[in-house]
Amino acid sequence: MTGLYLSYTFDWSVVPKSFEFLLRGLGITLRITVLSIIFSLALGLIVALVRMAPGPLGMLGFAYIQVFRALSLYVYILFAYFGIAAAFHIDLDPITAGVVSLTLLNSAYMAEIYRSAIQAIDPGQREAARSLGLGSITTFGNVVFPQAWRIALPSLVNQFTDIIKDSSIVAVIGTPDLMYQTIERVSFYQRPFEFYTTVGAIYLLLVLIVAQVASRLEKRLRRHLA
Amino acid sequence: MILLAYQFDWSVVTDRWQLFVAGAWIDLWVATIGFALACAIGLVNALLRTSGLPFLSVPSFVYVQVTRGIPLYVLLLWVYFGVANITGITFTNFQAIVIALALTGSGYTTEIFRAGLGAIERGQMEAARSIGLSRVHTYQHVILPQAFRIVVPPLGNTFVGLLKGATIMALIAVPDMVFLANELNVTLFTPFEVFAAVALILVVMVLFFSAIVYVLERRLRIG
Repeated sequence: MTGLYLSYTFDWSVVPKSFEFLLRGLGITLRITVLSIIFSLALGLIVALVRMAPGPLGMLGFAYIQVFRALSLYVYILFAYFGIAAAFHIDLDPITAGVVSLTLLNSAYMAEIYRSAIQAIDPGQREAARSLGLGSITTFGNVVFPQAWRIALPSLVNQFTDIIKDSSIVAVIGTPDLMYQTIERVSFYQRPFEFYTTVGAIYLLLVLIVAQVASRLEKRLRRHLA
Repeated sequence: MILLAYQFDWSVVTDRWQLFVAGAWIDLWVATIGFALACAIGLVNALLRTSGLPFLSVPSFVYVQVTRGIPLYVLLLWVYFGVANITGITFTNFQAIVIALALTGSGYTTEIFRAGLGAIERGQMEAARSIGLSRVHTYQHVILPQAFRIVVPPLGNTFVGLLKGATIMALIAVPDMVFLANELNVTLFTPFEVFAAVALILVVMVLFFSAIVYVLERRLRIG
């Protein structure tokens, strides 16, 4: 630790000068995030249903959740972008590699959210629907799922905040997202503090907006459930 | 363009398994130190948060929102390059990842401790005090043992999260298992084998600690 030099002069003007770059990066970050949210919502539901199936299929769903939840996004991306690409000649572009990685990781988390919501629905409802003559698919689609969805939604939206934060890792394979653009601007202006503080604030803002949506949904849906 | 068939060569991993284990050990240690700091900061922060004094609880609230809302990668580069640049304090890469993990983790641990302390009914404190226990003894024998049972499982999950997050230390050249895999990939061009090895080690470590958390959760359940 060398002596403190508190003579540092901040130069925040480099941030507005880089506005265009950061905006372009933000666009990519949002695109990756939204695609990953859509895919993991869909895949997560499928995995939840597989997980709840009896027998070996259920075990498969269980294994999927345990393994796919256990990896970090960084390891996912290295494996998808370098490992799979080299071994099987599946050359994913950086954005696709990011979306695939985020989807695999978050579908496992979302499957557990769906599962606990579906299990929270009184089994009497399913029995009542079946005894009225509804098929098992109709029962799930029209009776169980609409109620389970309301229970799951706030937690699912909270999971979106993790997707936003984790998406920053895609910068390591050269995806020109918000984080990548920031790192580029840092090496151009040599102003790490100004830029990383700014980008931290941007991510924070995105996360707080989404978290706010989640808590409002929770309040509103709870009112309907009560 | 001729696509050459990829020759799998697992000896790259099996010949160097000790190096992979040594790298994984670094991930584990860094995550453990980061977690220990996160617990200490989180406990203090939770007490500030529940103090009822706005000049203590408001900064504590803001701290939680900020540390939980910023990606670990941003925090890491902010600490390692940003803070170093303006203060002249140069952190080693080890210190930087530990600080970043402690910052991220403490946001979560604060909320866990707050929930744990809040879950113990006020009546217990009043009852203990009215039968003659001092405030310190009440905390020691009544409140904390119960709060401990509540906080252990979610703290375990936070540790698992930090262990996963710790793998990004390779980005600032801490020689963990991912850094080793990157090096081997560049020199020997065996990306599939080395990253599969890293993924396998991480899954095994995470599942091991998740299993411990699961067992603790069952053991500590009240009633």
